[in-house]
Amino acid sequence: MKVIEIKDLVKIYNSSEVQVKAVNGINLDFEEGEFAAVVGPSGSGKTTFLNMVGGLDRPTSGEVIVGGTNIWELKSRKLIDFRLRNIGFVFQAYNLIPVLTARENVEFIMHLQGRDKHERNQRVNELLTAVGLGERMESRPSKLSGGQQQRVAVARALASKPKFILADEPTANLDSKSTENLLDMMEKLNKEENITFIFSTHDARVVKKARRVITLDDGKVTSDEKK
Amino acid sequence: MKTYFKLAWRNLWRNKRRSLITIASIFFGVFFAIFLSSIQKGSFENILENMVKFYSGYIQIQGEKYKDNKSLNQSFEDNDLLRGKVASETNVTHFASRIESFALSAFKDQTYAAVVLGIEPAQENQISEISKWISQGTYFTKSNEVNGVLIGSQLAENLGIGVNDTLVLIGQGYHGQTAAGKFPVLGLLKFPLPDLNKQMIYMSLESARNFYSMPDRSTSMVLMVDNVDKIDKTIDHLEQAIDKNLKVYSWKEIQPELENFIQGKLAGGKIMKGILFMVIGFGIWGTIIMLMAERKRELGIIIALGVRKIRVMRIIVLESFLIGFIGVVIGSITSLPLVSYLYLHPVHVSGSIKETYESMGFEPVLKFSIHPDNFISPAITVFILFTAITLYAVWYIARLKTASALRA
Ligand SMILES: Nc1ncnc2c1ncn2[C@@H]1O[C@H](COP(=O)(O)OP(=O)(O)OP(=O)(O)O)[C@@H](O)[C@H]1O
Ligand SMILES: [Mg+2]
Repeated sequence: MKVIEIKDLVKIYNSSEVQVKAVNGINLDFEEGEFAAVVGPSGSGKTTFLNMVGGLDRPTSGEVIVGGTNIWELKSRKLIDFRLRNIGFVFQAYNLIPVLTARENVEFIMHLQGRDKHERNQRVNELLTAVGLGERMESRPSKLSGGQQQRVAVARALASKPKFILADEPTANLDSKSTENLLDMMEKLNKEENITFIFSTHDARVVKKARRVITLDDGKVTSDEKK
Repeated sequence: MKTYFKLAWRNLWRNKRRSLITIASIFFGVFFAIFLSSIQKGSFENILENMVKFYSGYIQIQGEKYKDNKSLNQSFEDNDLLRGKVASETNVTHFASRIESFALSAFKDQTYAAVVLGIEPAQENQISEISKWISQGTYFTKSNEVNGVLIGSQLAENLGIGVNDTLVLIGQGYHGQTAAGKFPVLGLLKFPLPDLNKQMIYMSLESARNFYSMPDRSTSMVLMVDNVDKIDKTIDHLEQAIDKNLKVYSWKEIQPELENFIQGKLAGGKIMKGILFMVIGFGIWGTIIMLMAERKRELGIIIALGVRKIRVMRIIVLESFLIGFIGVVIGSITSLPLVSYLYLHPVHVSGSIKETYESMGFEPVLKFSIHPDNFISPAITVFILFTAITLYAVWYIARLKTASALRA
């Protein structure tokens, strides 16, 4: 089943005199349960692409259709709500709200969704245990390692039961051990719970784990391999 | 709501030192503003009360042209009809008629010019409390008031006269008649104001009427009121009720220089407080600008996660109002006992302030006011300040682009 359809996606930045075609006509589909990596040199448009797919950055033209909805036709308030209910995000670093504990960070999303306390507690326990942080639930982000923080971020992304998770270089700030941990965990969630992951990366070891590798260059897809 | 409050509250303590400095600046502003208002209002109420009691009353009734030409010929007929109308005015608490004129005072071979004030001893004393300045002898009593005088202590010294001696007064009466008489000295008055001591002679209204040959006439009637805020209304009433040839004035018209003085000082205080709060306001604004810039990425993330901007605004507004609220509460709470203490125990001043006060005829004490306005208006100022500042924060969030915030 198609989760995301991307049609002729273009993003042009008009900063000062120069026009930057950050994303220059991308057409892609993503199926449910994919574990896909977006790779490419720095400046090739990975972040811009993921932001447009995630409803964070308005495309200059083209469509992003999620579960039948063209998300860029939604009013901005509706779009925010759409993100809350359908898309999970993991960013490169400093993902978490610093004044909230690991538990509260994960709970926050469910709170916004209006889940009741019982459900929230149960799911937060489940998720933080699943990412291996059952013991550190009451710690604030500053007391967690970078890898642990990223795992909390993944747990948070999952908390809203999204259709898919977008992760922009989730391992960029992690050492190789933490990178491997995080990837193993994501892979496990992907396999066992059939959660769709789309992530960008520079890291060859991360690319190796992906079952689909999309390569961007100059805002265009230069290759799209499925393993 | 609980979650937002939790977020705001914890964010407040995230940079403890900064929050404390911000709160402290508001605290000092509020504290200072309350203190300043309290001392200003306190001293002006004091000045006003003194001046009004002693000189003008809150309201004065005079003959039509007396204000511009202070002659006995401009006196008015002080009849029962008039007194009845004044007495029936509900806001009027006390009233007393006066005759004010001049005379030459003499004792043995000394002669000095003096101001002669004919007063209704009992009524006048309730208003201006003259009797408390008696330094020797006694105030008027029913038995002695017919013919005795009270005399300023310096004038008495100059004349070489004492209590029970007989003072000779010579002057000009109503419509040019000769006024001359002998008056036993009942007592000496020692006012804090040297000018008064040098020139005042008090006698009963009856004596003055006889002396100046103006039976049933007065030059002014002084009225005290219960509610100062209703003076204008009371004046309107009186103007309707009494003889159209009489004029009714408020203390502001009788002593315009006093009104100007008070208004000027109040305006000065307002400007000072305004500058103070402006400085504080810019300080806080700077803090908020820094705060928003620092948190740009964090704000981007929570918007990305699905928090509507309006909610993000609510968190930030709540956070900055918490700072303001804490500052105002601490400032008000700490100043309350101090100001109340000073209200109950006025400060006795010394040095040049003491001289200034004494030269105006007041007790040299600094009085404080505990009017609720003193506390409410700084709180409102801070509230307005924070509204303006959070408007900036709201504007900042409104135009925040999620994608670029995430790149920050
Ligand atoms: N706000 C912006 N204004 C102007 N140009 C921008 C803006 N954001 C990105 N770009 C440009 O768009 C292009 C694509 O940037 P993008 O961040 O998507 O690349 P990336 O593949 O994520 O790079 P990296 O691997 O370094 O993260 C770059 O040339 C970048 O300079
Ligand atoms: Mg990038």
